[in-house]
Amino acid sequence: MRALLVALHIVAVLLLAIPDAGGVALERASWKNPTVQAELSAWAERLSTLGYHTDTATLEGDVYAVAKSWTGTLKALRVPVRPYSDYLGVRQTWRMFVAPHRHPATLHVDIEEDGQWRPIHVARSDEYDWRRGQLDHPRMRSMLFRYGWKRYDRYYRGLTRWLATQAAGDFPQATRVRIRMYGFRTPTPEEVRADAIPEGKFKQQRVFAAEDLR
Amino acid sequence: MSDGGGRLARAWSRWVARIDRREPGTALALFRILTGLSLLLAVGSVLASDLVTVLWVDGGHGGYRPLKGNWLVQSLGGATPGVIGWLVALAMAGGVLLTVGILARPSALVAGQALIALSTLNVHGRSSYDPLLINSLWLLVLADSTATHSLRCRLRSDGWTSDALVTAWPRYLVVLQLAVLYTFTGLHKISIHWTPAGGFSALYYILQQPSWQRGDMTWLASVYPLTQLGTAVTWLFELSWPVVPLALWWRSTADRGGRLRRLFNRLPIRAVYVAVGLVMHLSIFALMEVGPFSWVTLAYYPCLFRASELANGWARLTGRLRRRASA
Repeated sequence: MRALLVALHIVAVLLLAIPDAGGVALERASWKNPTVQAELSAWAERLSTLGYHTDTATLEGDVYAVAKSWTGTLKALRVPVRPYSDYLGVRQTWRMFVAPHRHPATLHVDIEEDGQWRPIHVARSDEYDWRRGQLDHPRMRSMLFRYGWKRYDRYYRGLTRWLATQAAGDFPQATRVRIRMYGFRTPTPEEVRADAIPEGKFKQQRVFAAEDLR
Repeated sequence: MSDGGGRLARAWSRWVARIDRREPGTALALFRILTGLSLLLAVGSVLASDLVTVLWVDGGHGGYRPLKGNWLVQSLGGATPGVIGWLVALAMAGGVLLTVGILARPSALVAGQALIALSTLNVHGRSSYDPLLINSLWLLVLADSTATHSLRCRLRSDGWTSDALVTAWPRYLVVLQLAVLYTFTGLHKISIHWTPAGGFSALYYILQQPSWQRGDMTWLASVYPLTQLGTAVTWLFELSWPVVPLALWWRSTADRGGRLRRLFNRLPIRAVYVAVGLVMHLSIFALMEVGPFSWVTLAYYPCLFRASELANGWARLTGRLRRRASA
């Protein structure tokens, strides 16, 4: 009996571990992100040189169709082991660093004092390090990584409100709190060596009246 | 019985015999201790950073977004500060009891359920170490991990260590879990940057992402070929990890013979993969902030060795240190 249960555990783990395209990976809007488009474009170009002639849009359609069908099949196969995964925690989704995100964003928090904006937090900055212990925590990094994507805007708004409330409390003299993301393309090694780091731009700006948050 | 049926029956008998094997519990004890410490770090760091409310409490009670939670959270009354406080306390208590080695199975079960509940509350704040840690805790429910190096051992006998035998199959499952983790994370790496077609540039670009870096990483441009080597080694290491359990299997069945088995048994496959894994995880720790992921993973490593091998390794290490101290 024990040998059978151990064998069933192994079967369940292997079945749950097979890569799929669950979650946001099957949302078409996510495929329009510049990082995803650049990946598809690079693969289309590479496959064409190998004799499989395709372009970015065609490859996107083909990959999406295969991913959808594959994920649907796996979902059906996993039905018997799903309770084991959900209730006892043998979930096996190891989607880690699948691809570099070439268009990330960093959090900037500013406060307005005497009509002048000044930064209090810039992600990874040693100079503007307000609440760094919290904002640098890996779980907070995980949230902020996602919130640079448009599809998470609703949650980004919630988090910025929470952050602004903390800033309004920590800086009683502040009249407004401004929170925004600085989006940029990560530099190639050549660009770094040539001191030609690409410029980014601010996006997702939210401004709060500090008085309303106290 | 047909030949096929006979072969199947013999294979099943061998499987049952393997599942019945017993061995000293050193490897599982080390797995328990390191997992307990990792659990304390994973949950304790959230407490220390005063992030419990914003991460796990529902928007109506002080958090930043509505949170429903799994069946456990809902049956306890929702993601209120009180419920979340209890779940955090249970996870922390589980970490302490696992580390010292008493009531390990119930502790692992309760801490595992608490961690499942917490990590499924706000999936945006979840990290890869959560599911791995939850898997570790379930394996500790299955294993007798307190036979040695534990308070339970100290209370039952007069020492902290014991040669008492425990069932070996939970250790095999730990090795399998590690193989699944590495192999399937390798299979997920479908970006062109991980492959020769993308110039093995993945690690360089991942380390430029502010989300995970410990500090400015533009200096890596000056050692770009090293990052390419790191990418290639990481990718191949992960994809080829099934050879480790295969090598362990062939080593433990050396008496069966066969050319491939003999060849494998002459190669230091496990040593190479352990060395590469250690370098990889220590590099991740040095360059990236991904929480206790490296420690949760390295907790699995002792289970790649039998108790006698761990004892010999420890004796060699301490002997060398003693000689160095006396020199």
